[in-house]
Amino acid sequence: MTSSLSVEWLGERRYADGLTLQDQSVADRIAGRTGDRLILLEHSAVITLGRSTDPANLHRTPDEMRAAGIDVYEVGRGGDVTYHAPGQLVGYPILDLAGLDRKDVHDHLRRIEAALMDALEQLSVPARRVEGRTGVFIDRARSARPDGPDRKIASIGVGIRKWVTFHGFALNVTLDLAGFDAIVPCGLSDVEMTSVLRELEIEGKGEGLAAATLDEQVRGLVGEAMCARLGAEGS
Amino acid sequence: MTIAVDLPSLGESVFEGTVSRWLVSVGEWVEIDQPIVEVTTDKVDAEIPAPQAGVIDEILVSEGDVVEVGAVLARIDPEGKPSASPAASEPANVPPPSMPDPVAAPPSAGPTDPPATPVARRVAEEAAIDLRDVSGTGTAGRVTKEDVLRHQSGGGATAPSAPVTAPSPPVTEAAPVQTAPPAAPAPTAPTAPAARRPAPARSNASFGYELQPGDRVIPMTPMRRIISEHMVYSKRTSPHVGAVAEVDLSRVVKLRSQHKAAFQESYGIPLTFLPFIVHATVRALREVPALNASVVEDSIIEKQDINVGVATETEKGLVVPVVRNADRLSLAGTAMAIDDLANRARTKKLSADDLRGGTFTISNPGRQGNLYGFAIINQPQVGILRMGEIAKRAVVRTLDGEDAIVIRTMMYMALSYDHRAVDGAPANGFLYRIRELLEAGDFDL
Repeated sequence: MTSSLSVEWLGERRYADGLTLQDQSVADRIAGRTGDRLILLEHSAVITLGRSTDPANLHRTPDEMRAAGIDVYEVGRGGDVTYHAPGQLVGYPILDLAGLDRKDVHDHLRRIEAALMDALEQLSVPARRVEGRTGVFIDRARSARPDGPDRKIASIGVGIRKWVTFHGFALNVTLDLAGFDAIVPCGLSDVEMTSVLRELEIEGKGEGLAAATLDEQVRGLVGEAMCARLGAEGS
Repeated sequence: MTIAVDLPSLGESVFEGTVSRWLVSVGEWVEIDQPIVEVTTDKVDAEIPAPQAGVIDEILVSEGDVVEVGAVLARIDPEGKPSASPAASEPANVPPPSMPDPVAAPPSAGPTDPPATPVARRVAEEAAIDLRDVSGTGTAGRVTKEDVLRHQSGGGATAPSAPVTAPSPPVTEAAPVQTAPPAAPAPTAPTAPAARRPAPARSNASFGYELQPGDRVIPMTPMRRIISEHMVYSKRTSPHVGAVAEVDLSRVVKLRSQHKAAFQESYGIPLTFLPFIVHATVRALREVPALNASVVEDSIIEKQDINVGVATETEKGLVVPVVRNADRLSLAGTAMAIDDLANRARTKKLSADDLRGGTFTISNPGRQGNLYGFAIINQPQVGILRMGEIAKRAVVRTLDGEDAIVIRTMMYMALSYDHRAVDGAPANGFLYRIRELLEAGDFDL
């Protein structure tokens, strides 16, 4: 399938490098030096603190986290605390929404969610949206473990500069979920974080899965789904 | 006339947004399309750009306010003058010379009316002030809004206006200039609030030039324009500070002459001085990561990779191809990478990737008539090293306990660094370290 979106996999990058990269990519897209791109990568373990981060959402002090080998990064913009680490697929769609004739930021968010849900369905992980919350959650009704709090599998946050998008999504694939214990993700205290691997285990399909293989498979599926949902229509 | 900046429609289901952060303040000059405010809606941070260049006349909503689509966020006065005093030493804050300078009054103005900006005219009209009573301090004696206000507040005739041809005050290296980089908020470096002085006459707004017989007009090529824009952007964004070190290259000279022939034999390229400088700089960058950095928003980002740009002159102009992961290269590897990039630069075979991702730049403008000089930082980096000419000089050395004048091959190296991110001590330490490495001549060949 051809798509107007070019997908690039960069491997593991530090969060700070990701920021520089996005700045550059957005500038390139605005100047027309590149077309629409989806940059896929993983971040080295890092906790990002937003400007509005409530200290109550941190269960450990930044120094304790640094001592545990987790980078702490203050992003100086809105948003709450997030956790990234290898085993979590991060995607920055760098799209010119004006060029795509889709000048609607919520439509962009919904498309990212839809693409992630498409990819998760392919993996037999039941996914859904939760009204009023951005991100992708497990559809517990269809899960082998329907009880307990909502389980969040992907976070989404988008920036926009002259109708060019940046930031994007973070899908938990195989990362150690214990990393989230240090924080309350996005300030949602009644939500449990989960991952593709964790959900496959719940479904009884986790047997003998190699993390690296699963990471790669998810990457491929997400790339395809994003192309289908985010690319130009009719391409 | 001021121009309203309103919250644009961000989508069908978006009716309102929360003002998360102002990136500019009242009185500040903004360029067209410069992001001026961040607005958050759901999980989207949108940067709202200025619809036109001008001075922020008014900010109508505060951080944290929820505003509806279409609500006016701010007003921009395209004819206004930046009010903050830092503009005095920051030419970039002053309207660019491209602004028309209509000395001729608009048709509506009476023939005896003195030249005045449209804003001044409006303010004067509202306050029922006769413009002829106001002395103008703008370009060519033009009456500005400030002049009218000063007149109104009883200031009467102002001090003699500065000569319109006065050059702008030089930007001094260490001046705490409050810059307003388009993509980033103003740095939080302390600036003395007491430094608020009345804005000086706009001395550098319009250097119009009347063509003289025999002048040759050379339109800028696209590349020249890009270079021009980048240089202005860099000077506006980064407060540059310069430092110079002199380095004794005698050991490097010796090494080079010892290995020149064998090197040419093994690698098929000549062994020049440049790879030694690059190699030493890269080692120093590894030790002083503060110089291998960028300023992004409110953060300084120290980069893991060391990618060194080597400024190269080509027929079409200056290009800066990048030696990637230069810290993983041997001296020979560095030499080959530089040679390859230089060749491809000259034969126009560089790809876009060859030109991006640099984390530090070295400029070798060459041979003669170049004792030393300061280069402009290649954004978004924070440092650039410029090589001076390599020449034999008489220097004092202590030999066997006796001071003696000896002849050594010397070079001045000039470092320009971004004082937003780097202070003098680490910068000087970095420069000194390059010198130490070069003087030790400890290179594997």
